[in-house]
Amino acid sequence: MSGGVYGGDEVGALVFDIGSFSARAGYAGEDCPKADFPTSLGVLAEEDGGAELAGEQEKAAGRTFYLDTNALHVARAGMELISPLKNGMIEDWEAFQAIVDHTYCKHIKSEPSLHPVLMSEAPWNTRAKREKLTELMFEHYNIPAFFLCKTAVLTAFANGRATGLVLDSGATHTTAIPVHDGYVLQQGIVKSPLAGDFITMQCRELFQEMTIDITPPYMIAAKVTPQAHSRLGCLAEPVREGMPPNWTKKDRLPPVTKSWHTYMCNEVIQDFQASVLQVSDSPYDEQVAAQMPTVHYEMPSGYSTDYGAERLRIPEGLFDPSNVKGLSGNTMLGVGHVVTTSIGMCDIDIRPGLYGSVIVTGGNTLLQGFTERLNRELSQKAPPSMRLKLIASNSSMERRFSPWIGGSILASLGTFQQMWISKQEYEEGGKQSVERKCP
Amino acid sequence: TLTTMLPAAPGIIHLFQCTMATGADVRDILELGGGDNDAGPISKKDLINSDKKKSKKSTETLTFKRPEGMHREVYALLYSDKKDAPPLLPSDTTQGYRTVKAKLGCKRVRPWKWMPFTNPARKDGAIFHHWRRMAEEGKDYPFARFNKTVQVPVYSEQEYLMYLHDDGWTKAETDHLFDLCKSFDLRFIVIHDRYDHQQFRKRSVEDLKERYYNICAKLSKIRAVSGCEPKIYIFDAGHERRRKEQLERLFNRTPEQVAEEEYLIQELRKIENRKKEREKKAQDLQKLITAADTTTEMRRAERKATKKKLPQKRETEKPTVPETAGIKFPDFKSAGVTLRSQRMKLPSSVGQKKIKAIEQMLMELGVDLSPMPTEEIVQRFNELRSDLVLVYELKQAHSNCEYEQQMLRHRYEALLKAGGDGTHLDEGFGTEGQDIIKAEDVKGEAKEQVIDVVGAPLTPNSVTKFCADSTMGGTFEALTFVCCSTEVIASLGPLGFSNAAETHQNFTRFSKISI
Repeated sequence: MSGGVYGGDEVGALVFDIGSFSARAGYAGEDCPKADFPTSLGVLAEEDGGAELAGEQEKAAGRTFYLDTNALHVARAGMELISPLKNGMIEDWEAFQAIVDHTYCKHIKSEPSLHPVLMSEAPWNTRAKREKLTELMFEHYNIPAFFLCKTAVLTAFANGRATGLVLDSGATHTTAIPVHDGYVLQQGIVKSPLAGDFITMQCRELFQEMTIDITPPYMIAAKVTPQAHSRLGCLAEPVREGMPPNWTKKDRLPPVTKSWHTYMCNEVIQDFQASVLQVSDSPYDEQVAAQMPTVHYEMPSGYSTDYGAERLRIPEGLFDPSNVKGLSGNTMLGVGHVVTTSIGMCDIDIRPGLYGSVIVTGGNTLLQGFTERLNRELSQKAPPSMRLKLIASNSSMERRFSPWIGGSILASLGTFQQMWISKQEYEEGGKQSVERKCP
Repeated sequence: TLTTMLPAAPGIIHLFQCTMATGADVRDILELGGGDNDAGPISKKDLINSDKKKSKKSTETLTFKRPEGMHREVYALLYSDKKDAPPLLPSDTTQGYRTVKAKLGCKRVRPWKWMPFTNPARKDGAIFHHWRRMAEEGKDYPFARFNKTVQVPVYSEQEYLMYLHDDGWTKAETDHLFDLCKSFDLRFIVIHDRYDHQQFRKRSVEDLKERYYNICAKLSKIRAVSGCEPKIYIFDAGHERRRKEQLERLFNRTPEQVAEEEYLIQELRKIENRKKEREKKAQDLQKLITAADTTTEMRRAERKATKKKLPQKRETEKPTVPETAGIKFPDFKSAGVTLRSQRMKLPSSVGQKKIKAIEQMLMELGVDLSPMPTEEIVQRFNELRSDLVLVYELKQAHSNCEYEQQMLRHRYEALLKAGGDGTHLDEGFGTEGQDIIKAEDVKGEAKEQVIDVVGAPLTPNSVTKFCADSTMGGTFEALTFVCCSTEVIASLGPLGFSNAAETHQNFTRFSKISI
């Protein structure tokens, strides 16, 4: 028994948590992942014979992958941007492998055969995909032991609970997942596509309406025109509020693909989202929103302006999708509804337990005022006899990495060491053992 | 100079030790005073174990016991173990090396090793590696003992066919259920979640539990060794289902329903409070009435006794006078020699208000407030005042009832006007009196009417209730009474809404009493 952690036992396990926005990996027993990089990767179709084999690229039959933050941000001609995941499940296995390879090679820097691996998966992952993943990890990486655990369970563990309702609002979707005694109740999962990407889309529409050009930083050489530059010396005067931006484009930019450009634009919008948007603490009211203090935001291009009611109106769609533009007549559920619907689908006996620990996780929940609004909505919707408790850790690290942290806790527990699917078991039972061992 | 510095800065010793001082010097400084091995170099053992010798010494020198009540800290200032003057600079190490905070270097380090291990909780014998103390190498994995599983019974094909057959369940489905029970350790909610509802029928958690526990019970009954009673757990599925249904209904209440329930409970509480109040009032009245009755009857009995000289029989029947009515004068018989005027003194239980009322009434009657206390006068005077108090109380009760009646009448009339539904009501009641309550008020009370079935006296609904119910009237019986006294006669008419017979009865009583 290692002395540091109560009940802990270190076996050098690795934890992978590959989400639709970013991938996290690191050693079990640590408090935050060693690696955290975008899941999206750049792909170049192999035509030029792979002339350069730089650091952060992985090759696979006919395709070259560029991944991790640095390599992804280099403008390359014809580099398409893809995501290996679809709906939280692995779709492009080559690309997925590239991510795992990259993690081992550049972040862990160790042999896969030395470390048991705990991997997170979407709670609705299909059996075929789980088995394929098990096969891949044992056959290709030759790991000594493997375990698959649902993200929601890991999140609950990270928050010190075995039972609770995990509300995970990430990039692609918002889900409410009931967890009972460390098992996901699959019949009670409720998904809604209203999440981070939806907000990004709304922001993009807002900018179109306001005729604001989104200029990703990769295009910008300088923020002053050459004449101004020569006139003022080196002083780059900030552009006055609301005035058109004043910047020069980089010359010799390669012809980038649309998908990559969109990704870069989205990064700008995501920064805008994080710094400007706020969820109002009561249902949106135009007049109340107009009273709110405006927030000043400067684009990478130098354009800056104040944002007033918009900053409340956009996130309102998360909670009240009924009057979102472009979604008219939709039947999507707001965040509060997602939670209550999910709890309503569970057995009546466990509902108090679920209301008693609603665990909020995912990067999208870091929007200012998100938890306060959720708390308000739930306390109105929940039956008065239920004790409602919202568990939302204050640190953004814990909110973003909670499945990874839960995995880190789980894999470093002494009592967990009997749960692994060992290589021996895999060899005896085949890939079906994942269904038996990791239900 | 060295020694003077030491108490304040003992840390310096290390410095000396390693730079210039010989072992003997250090020994000298530390007052170790080693006897035989003077010449040898000082060792760590000497330093650390020195406290043993020193503590012995100090216990010898310490003769002064701490006086009682003196704080330990104060005492420590006066009597440190060496009887030195306390150090001028604060230091926590006045004891020198006596208490080493960390027991450093007492033991050898116990090395850790990255070693392979097998976990007895695993059946495959997989080998993992972990950090462990060398000394513990080869020992059992400490976490293996936490590996607990639920014992799920297993049945054979034959047993199933013979005992466990159920028309609603196939063998395959039962097997599936037992598999899940085993893999999820009887967490039925999870089992229900993962149940293969496509291949088999849709079943509720209760269905699954019922099947499982029934089989368990049957198996344990079959397998029980003859002679000893098997432990059988009975699962009442019907009860569980009803319980869940009820919970479900409770859960699905709308906020309006919850608010309504809250409101109803509040109203009920109000009604009950009113009912209690009314009962209390009725009781008080009843007491007064019986008091009045008894006093008059007593008088009559006395008179009869004086006339017919038949005191004995009457006296046995004489009821005890209730304490609330009149004044109970203390008995002076056993108090030794007293002034007779003392007997006329009102007891302290009589309140100021009553005393005032008595005085006023005495003045009205023209009776001296403090008459000459002859034997007879004292007795009569006390009796008179007792009666006065009774009358006073009765009057008060009467006016209360009158007031209430008036109020009820108003309400009733307003109700009549608003609803017009008075067919089942007493005809003679409520034809007169002014209606001051507007129709809106009554409408506003409509909700209250619906709720107020228990019959609070102050709501119009209750009035209709009482009137409609001819058997009722017990409550209002109390309102009808009569009282008389030799000096003052207070008579009250029938007040309540009692039926005619009762009114008649009350009048007969009135005539009987008021001779």
